[in-house]
Amino acid sequence: MSNNTLKAPVRLPADGASGARTNSRDTFKRILPKSYLVLVLISIIIIGYYVSEDFLTVRNAENVIAAASIVAVLAVGQFFVIVTGGIDLSVGSILAMSTVIVALTLQAGLGAGISVAVTLACCGFAGLINGLLVVWLRIPPFIATLAMMSAIKGFSYIIQSTSLIQIFNDTFIDLFSRGTSLGLRNPVMIFLVVAIVAALVAKFTTFGRSLYAIGGNPEAARLSGLPVHRNLLITYTLSGLLAGLAGLIAASQLRQGSSLIGMGYELDAIAAVVVGGASLMGGKGDPISAVIGVFVLATIINIMNLVGISSEPQLVIKGAVIIVAVFLSSAGGVQRISGFFSKQFGRRTAAVAK
Amino acid sequence: MSADDIRRGSDIEELRIEGLTKGYLGVQALKGVSFSVKRGSIHALAGQNGAGKSTLVKILSGAEIPDGGSIFLGGELMRFREPTDAQKAGIHTIYQELSLVPSLSVAENIFLGQLPTRGGTVVHWGEMQIQARAALARVGFDLDVRLPVSSFSVAEQQAIELAKALHKDARVLLLDEPTSTLPLPDVDRLFTVLRRLADQGVTLLYISHRMDELYSLCDAVTVLRDGITAADLKTADTKPADVVTAMVGKSLEGSIADAALRGERSPRLGAGRSEKVLMSAHELGEEGRVSNVSFDLFEGEVLGIAGLIGSGQSELAGLLAGARKRTAGVIKLDARGVVFKSPRDAIRRGIGLLPQDRKSQGFIPDMGVAGNITLASMSMFSRLGVINGKAERRAARDMVERLGMKVASVGQPMKTLSGGTQQKGILARWLVRSARLLICDEPTRGVDVGAKEDMYELIRDFAREGGTVIIASSEITEAMMCDRVLVMARGRVVAEFDHDDIDPQGQAILERFA
Repeated sequence: MSNNTLKAPVRLPADGASGARTNSRDTFKRILPKSYLVLVLISIIIIGYYVSEDFLTVRNAENVIAAASIVAVLAVGQFFVIVTGGIDLSVGSILAMSTVIVALTLQAGLGAGISVAVTLACCGFAGLINGLLVVWLRIPPFIATLAMMSAIKGFSYIIQSTSLIQIFNDTFIDLFSRGTSLGLRNPVMIFLVVAIVAALVAKFTTFGRSLYAIGGNPEAARLSGLPVHRNLLITYTLSGLLAGLAGLIAASQLRQGSSLIGMGYELDAIAAVVVGGASLMGGKGDPISAVIGVFVLATIINIMNLVGISSEPQLVIKGAVIIVAVFLSSAGGVQRISGFFSKQFGRRTAAVAK
Repeated sequence: MSADDIRRGSDIEELRIEGLTKGYLGVQALKGVSFSVKRGSIHALAGQNGAGKSTLVKILSGAEIPDGGSIFLGGELMRFREPTDAQKAGIHTIYQELSLVPSLSVAENIFLGQLPTRGGTVVHWGEMQIQARAALARVGFDLDVRLPVSSFSVAEQQAIELAKALHKDARVLLLDEPTSTLPLPDVDRLFTVLRRLADQGVTLLYISHRMDELYSLCDAVTVLRDGITAADLKTADTKPADVVTAMVGKSLEGSIADAALRGERSPRLGAGRSEKVLMSAHELGEEGRVSNVSFDLFEGEVLGIAGLIGSGQSELAGLLAGARKRTAGVIKLDARGVVFKSPRDAIRRGIGLLPQDRKSQGFIPDMGVAGNITLASMSMFSRLGVINGKAERRAARDMVERLGMKVASVGQPMKTLSGGTQQKGILARWLVRSARLLICDEPTRGVDVGAKEDMYELIRDFAREGGTVIIASSEITEAMMCDRVLVMARGRVVAEFDHDDIDPQGQAILERFA
């Protein structure tokens, strides 16, 4: 292209002093909603430290993290689905199916490695079916995965045939709950690896970028030649696969497989993703925030357990926490509150000036 | 334009804006805008995209709170915290995208939020319908108010929206590009309605990019440039070129837009075609939209496909770019038959589409400028699926500079940019990919004069460097710039003109529209 396209150089806001001031305030405003989640988590931890002696101990921390690792793995898968503008309600059921299949295959005498492979393959396949329903049959994700949630739950119950199947395979139990690697318990290691890989994929790969594009504007993504269908299939498969992985952790922690495990986990995962600042409309958020969201919720539950609040009030408080957190992160609550305070503050200084 | 229109408006000042300022994320959108509007006049607001028009509209409609400055309505200082404040004061805004509820009846829409009731609980349908008809009569329309809004045309829906505002005792009406989605005959009708409202004492603030409209309808024009009032003109003693000059900040003499404004013979965008046929269509069709279209497209040519909105030119553009599915005919590229299953197939063969509706088809709103520019060429900036962020940003910065895009950084979310800059970003997407055929569907819709000029220059440069361009357009001036124009009506090609055979007013093309 020739030079005559060159127009006047890009004009930036001039006026040094005031420009710099607005910039720093803007940077603050931009970072605040992101870091607020960490602040929330830290304040919860501080509260926990004051209300319970047992809270800030290595043992308790290990328990919280081990319990949260299951939902954290689910939440990462859920995040990818949500960022495309979809939702996956079937992950709790897939998790249950995972525990049943791994228990069955171990019971049948297969080695831990093969059992795990078979289980993950089945769960990935279930996720693929979700994807096919959404992409090929064009069933809205909510409905497709709601139907799959029911179907998979029933399927797990049928194949399990007794109320639960116990797991005795030590290799498997070591691999997913008892064992350690690099000084960390394996489930913690697994969720850390999953979360970090997911964060890298979301931020630095063409796949991750295309998911944000699909969620942000599916038609623009299609017209730009992105493989929308293929990537949606991969995303739902991935969600199924991660639900299977979470199921493996659950199965080895509980040492059993049962279709009743993981009830309501899909909602916990969705809540965590949303608390982590993702929009259910798609195109926003990041996996690390989703994982932090898991820990915000898990820590609060843990503190309430330590203090001895019974489980029903816990549910009420958990609901309230979700609403407050989502208000602060996605509904622009931080800006609204800071706007309110700056206005009050501004008025007061104005009054003083008079 | 008649002298009567110009002398409209009383001497009473209805609206006065003083030193309005507003800044967003490091960009000062308004740096001190002041002007005043007479009661019962039609006052135009002009300016390039990014000049601050939309920010001003948002402030006047109460959607945004200004950082400084004041608004006086009927001499009284106004402070709007939210849109309902502005509406209560009597300022109503009618946006490009209408805000009616399609599934509700006309009457319900007009009364939305304040349905008349019997005894406070039961909706008084009869009363509502009578009043709704009366409100519509004020704008000169007679519609069956019991039917759902979705069963009416865009023009009728606009009338309903006007009636709704009037019913709520609007004193000032803000109209944001009301004609951008209207067919020509309806534009005239809308103008009649607007003049009638002005005669009734309603003050109208009219925003449009179309100079001819401003001058046939409005009494005065306030031009914004870079967040300040650049000029306050009376339409009676100025001409469109004055507005354009004030908008751009320099004289446009000799430019493409200037020629179009003056009604001179349009300059050519194309650089002269080769004899090689790049693409050809044979009896191409899409059920109910496009039928039996055949043509050859030569390499290096700028081919126009002109027609009134809804004549099939947009659909044809979509078919050629693989965005729509054809139901009949053959497309050949480089003399070989091709089947585009998706836009992806077309993109791979070097075709890029500039879609008609930027917002819903063009860009990813929350994604940065760089991400949007490289959206169709991520593979060029990645290895084994991992994006090379540095290379990507460098390419994006090059494009930003080359196309003169006004952005604070290449990470700035696309949704925060002006329409013209967004359009350039989408064009950049195909330039980065080195597309050889650019299919532009209404490339300058909702884009101001300055950015329009830039777009034409960019298209011209693209053609000069050997690229081929198809422009689907409902704007006659745009069609007249092409090397060759196919005129479409009701989904068929009804005429073909060479650039040199088109008269300066484009009558030849207009006569085949219908």
